[in-house]
Amino acid sequence: MSDRGAVYDLGYVPYDGPRLGRRGARATLFGDGVRRVLGIRRKARRKVLPWILIGIAIVPSIVFVGINFFVPGGITEGASTDATHADFYVLNGFLALVFTALAAPELLIPDRRDGVLSILSSRPLTSSDYLGSRFASLIAVVGGFLILPQLVLYVGLAATDSDGLFQGLLDGASALPKILVVALVYIVAYVPLGFVVASLANRKVIASAVYIGAAIGLTAVAEAVVRNNVFAGGRWVALIAPVNTADAAAYWVFGQTSPDSLLAAADISPAVGLFTLMVFGAIGVGFSIYRYRSLM
Amino acid sequence: METAFATNALGHAYGKIAALHSLSVEVPRGRTGLVGANGAGKSTLIKILLGILRQTTGSATVLDLDTQRETIPIRNVVGYMPEGNCLPLDQTAADFMVYAAGTAGLPADAGRQRASDVLTLVGLAEERFRYLGDFSTGMKQRAKLAQAIVHDPQLVFLDEPTAGLDPSGREEMLDLIARLGTFGIDVVVSSHVLRDIERTCDWVVMLDEGTLLHSGPLGGHLDDRTVRVQVNGDAGPLHADLVRAGATVTADGTRLSVAHADLDVYDMIRDVAAANGTSIRNLDDGAASLEEMFLRRGAR
Repeated sequence: MSDRGAVYDLGYVPYDGPRLGRRGARATLFGDGVRRVLGIRRKARRKVLPWILIGIAIVPSIVFVGINFFVPGGITEGASTDATHADFYVLNGFLALVFTALAAPELLIPDRRDGVLSILSSRPLTSSDYLGSRFASLIAVVGGFLILPQLVLYVGLAATDSDGLFQGLLDGASALPKILVVALVYIVAYVPLGFVVASLANRKVIASAVYIGAAIGLTAVAEAVVRNNVFAGGRWVALIAPVNTADAAAYWVFGQTSPDSLLAAADISPAVGLFTLMVFGAIGVGFSIYRYRSLM
Repeated sequence: METAFATNALGHAYGKIAALHSLSVEVPRGRTGLVGANGAGKSTLIKILLGILRQTTGSATVLDLDTQRETIPIRNVVGYMPEGNCLPLDQTAADFMVYAAGTAGLPADAGRQRASDVLTLVGLAEERFRYLGDFSTGMKQRAKLAQAIVHDPQLVFLDEPTAGLDPSGREEMLDLIARLGTFGIDVVVSSHVLRDIERTCDWVVMLDEGTLLHSGPLGGHLDDRTVRVQVNGDAGPLHADLVRAGATVTADGTRLSVAHADLDVYDMIRDVAAANGTSIRNLDDGAASLEEMFLRRGAR
């Protein structure tokens, strides 16, 4: 063996491997979006808020499962868990709103503010690819935020079932498709609005504030107009309140009656409310695409 | 000629303000300098070639691909280093390079390998786990260059790559750009600093207020047979003796530009000046600098 070391300059090595084109670029943007919202591979302070919110969303499910375990016979023993799932969705609805208020600006604003969009504009991507990938990231993280507490509840209640975990999972399985559908309802209600606000604002904190303010403001206006019967046909104003509509639709999907529902007060079916949310959502996404056509 | 890019009557306007006027040019592959003052239309041209902007008139191709119809195929094989800020401040250099490779369509594993390679190439291997927000201006410029080549493009557009750099940082960046050609990557460098173009490029495209001043090989403006001489005192006797010796001489005050078809001009001037006792203050070759050429053509 030689006792003399050697340094080799390998120079530049050209790349001749596979190129995935648009498909690879979209997948990269999607993965980056999820990591960015959750603060993964970012500085520690960037992880604080999202994970605190996720923790707050899960804790009630854990507490409820714990109480169910210690109460003799269990709170939900022999009863349908649908009402519990619906209540927990509405309980976490506002938290999901706050989470969306943090997530949507994080996905769109830094790319514009830091100029990263100018690099992405030179990559094999269209503006629709970019927005579609970011939109998918937002749906994934908000959907995960909504579904995770429900899964904790589902598995936890099954684990405390007197007939054993497996039987508990089977008994509660009918709630799983409803859990998914209601998550989609909240996504339709919350995500497009967050996307529109984030596509317009230049600062994340302002986007978050405007988004939450808009959601609460629309609810307040709808409540005032509908409950006080301000003008003829004013009951249709109930449809502009995304939070109320999503809550009412959540109860409706689980076969429950929404307590003190604005849609019920306006005598509007939750299905109509849901359809309206989808129309507003499509308009919002269309506007965002139009806005980004001029940016990249 | 295999072209890096070509334009035909290309025009672009921002509202009522025209940025490019009927630009027609063919640029061969290699290292090309795009020079012009601020507002000459350099960045607009690059953005049209990348398909970021759409031209209002005419057409353009990059590597024989049409910029409007084949935007995605072009972007698969080119890289771009923008002039302004373009780095996410809350990511490490290594993470951003992997991301940049992924957005160019490279698989994740290949992206990680390429990220490591290009960061080493631009001299940021030791800094790869630092956040980009903590980088100096020079390091940011290197990182911007690294993301432009991380996917091994055939052609890379560099928009003012030396902007904001101190003299040593500028030299290092120019060395890096000059090396790109040896890697098989064609380069289009936009700059308003003519010396940068002279140092790194073999073809130059001059723009002025959106119109083409000149496009040609950078060596083409050099005239090896002309020597400029400046004398102390009266240049008249030297002028007359040089003409008698068969040289072609043009005078500008105490400066003479001397050319001869056959003889070595330096030797000729030395011999004639020694014979008639003229004191020579300065001798230099007659090569017009890129700056002189730019000024001359711009004045037409």
